[in-house]
Amino acid sequence: MEMQESMMGRGREAIDMIVDPESFQENTVGAQSFDDPEFGPGAVVGTATLDGKTTTIIASDGNAFNEKFPVVYAGIIGMEEGYKMAQAVYASIAADAEKPLEEKRALVLIVDTPGNGPGKVEEIFGMNKATAAYQLALAEARLKGHAIIAMVIGRAISGAFLCHGLQADSIVSLDANYGTMIHVMPLTSVSRIIKKPLEVLEEISKDNAVFAAGPRFFYSLGGVGLIVDHVDGMRPAIIDRVAEVQKAKAEGKQDTLGPWGRGALGAERGGRVERPKVMALMNEEFAAVAGQYAPAR
Amino acid sequence: MSNWQNLQPRSFLEASARDRALGLVDEGSFTELAGPFDRVTSPHLELLGDAVAFDDGIVTGIGRIGKTPVFVISQEGKFIGGSVGEIGGAKMVNTIKLAIEFHDDLVAKHPDLTDEEKPVVVISFETGGVRLHEANAGLLAHAEVMDQLQKARGKVPVIAVIGSKVGGFGGMGFVAAATDAIIMSEFGRLGLTGPEVIEQEMGKEEFDASDRALVYRTTGGRHKYIMGDANFLVQDSIEAFRKQVVELAPLPVSDFEAMRRIGSPETVEKQLRLVALAAEMQPQDAVDVWAKAGNENAAGLLDVPFAEFMSTVKRLAV
Repeated sequence: MEMQESMMGRGREAIDMIVDPESFQENTVGAQSFDDPEFGPGAVVGTATLDGKTTTIIASDGNAFNEKFPVVYAGIIGMEEGYKMAQAVYASIAADAEKPLEEKRALVLIVDTPGNGPGKVEEIFGMNKATAAYQLALAEARLKGHAIIAMVIGRAISGAFLCHGLQADSIVSLDANYGTMIHVMPLTSVSRIIKKPLEVLEEISKDNAVFAAGPRFFYSLGGVGLIVDHVDGMRPAIIDRVAEVQKAKAEGKQDTLGPWGRGALGAERGGRVERPKVMALMNEEFAAVAGQYAPAR
Repeated sequence: MSNWQNLQPRSFLEASARDRALGLVDEGSFTELAGPFDRVTSPHLELLGDAVAFDDGIVTGIGRIGKTPVFVISQEGKFIGGSVGEIGGAKMVNTIKLAIEFHDDLVAKHPDLTDEEKPVVVISFETGGVRLHEANAGLLAHAEVMDQLQKARGKVPVIAVIGSKVGGFGGMGFVAAATDAIIMSEFGRLGLTGPEVIEQEMGKEEFDASDRALVYRTTGGRHKYIMGDANFLVQDSIEAFRKQVVELAPLPVSDFEAMRRIGSPETVEKQLRLVALAAEMQPQDAVDVWAKAGNENAAGLLDVPFAEFMSTVKRLAV
């Protein structure tokens, strides 16, 4: 696999590589416009066409710095950024509220973010709410029938990936030849914190994907649906995934998509086989007692 | 006195996850699902040569409060900080899923089902989020929990109870924020980036994690109550938490929707007014915000007795 120039910090360029030429209108989604250039500058939101179809685009700007919240730079999602992204999602839902399923616009999340705002002011005012608000908005859009595709181009790190990516229907990632980073923590830090030698962890991770870093490990866990090994592959892969997701939704196969669908994929690919077992056990145990908890009639 | 009666006056902070679960629901009503006798343990910890727990550090099951079926998830901070791995995460996800399915079954069977007969979910948080020993699986489980919380909307109310020292941080800080109603004690803590992590990433000037008073001012129950992030603040006992859950359990789901801090375009607007206030104030300390809320004795608010705090505190309104 030939190493390629990293896409890290190049979210805006990625938008142009993916959408129809010259079609991206930043700061407008449905009826909502984001006119204040100082509001959540780390979040890029707007509308484009993709294969001729109206699509909401949400990305991080790796070069932006939020003057009001100095811990927000290099693609970090701060409070303003999280709520701005949530607003873009709600505006997408509202714009297509009356439309039939197949006409609801897709949302494409371009993922290159190292984290959430790690500051004192953020904790005082509740950074956790901003990122949770965005996740709930994405989950709502997904459950209301919008196709949501995440395209990992650079950093998809821990809580920031939860926030911006892991609520998508389907996740596509550039391969490791682009220096793509998907992890909770690099293995070196894991080694330090859980006090296990790095060599031991590296050895175990050859057969067990649950803690190692990188797109291939997430693929076997079902966390990434598809890997592409060249930037030219992003646009066609996303167009295909949108069509597949829309078809699955039209057929009522919502459960094959999103976080729940990734669970099944993780079992199928052998990366997460314990999850379904414990769930089946609980279902069986609950079925045996459910009658006791039903109301008396 | 029965074990259940003995549990009631006990400190929630010091209780185990199982005692919290047992004590929150009616006496003798709790059935544990995938409990310790099932011995479902983490193979990933075993592979690393680490100790395992027969419940993987999380108690899941169903009990009853009056006529309400109550699905309970209770995290155990004494086992690897209550961290969430593949099995514990799956137990959490599936408990909420079972509650939604049970709701749908009951509604289908009984068109006259009353609000108090509809299931609720109660989650006791004691976790810093992802378990690093199985980090990727834990992370993916968090996304599944968020998905289930959205699926529960409008059907099954989800109540967060936070009265543990570990509290709810990391990815589980998102999850707690995404529930319908949050009950805290003053010893409970809620946030995203833990004090140690902020200090490590941004330096001691940004946050001195060894300053316990600072930690509680920023993330503790009293602060979160002033900010509106906790809907209810209760004394540190199992019965005090239970009493609040008992009051909430029979309410219609629309009442829960009204308690939400996030989850709609309108609540996002409101939160953005708070963010604008943060930008304008640039507070050095939570005390600045308490004063802004109209508390004359802001600096002393952590020290006044609980009852006095509750009767005099002014909560932030935007």
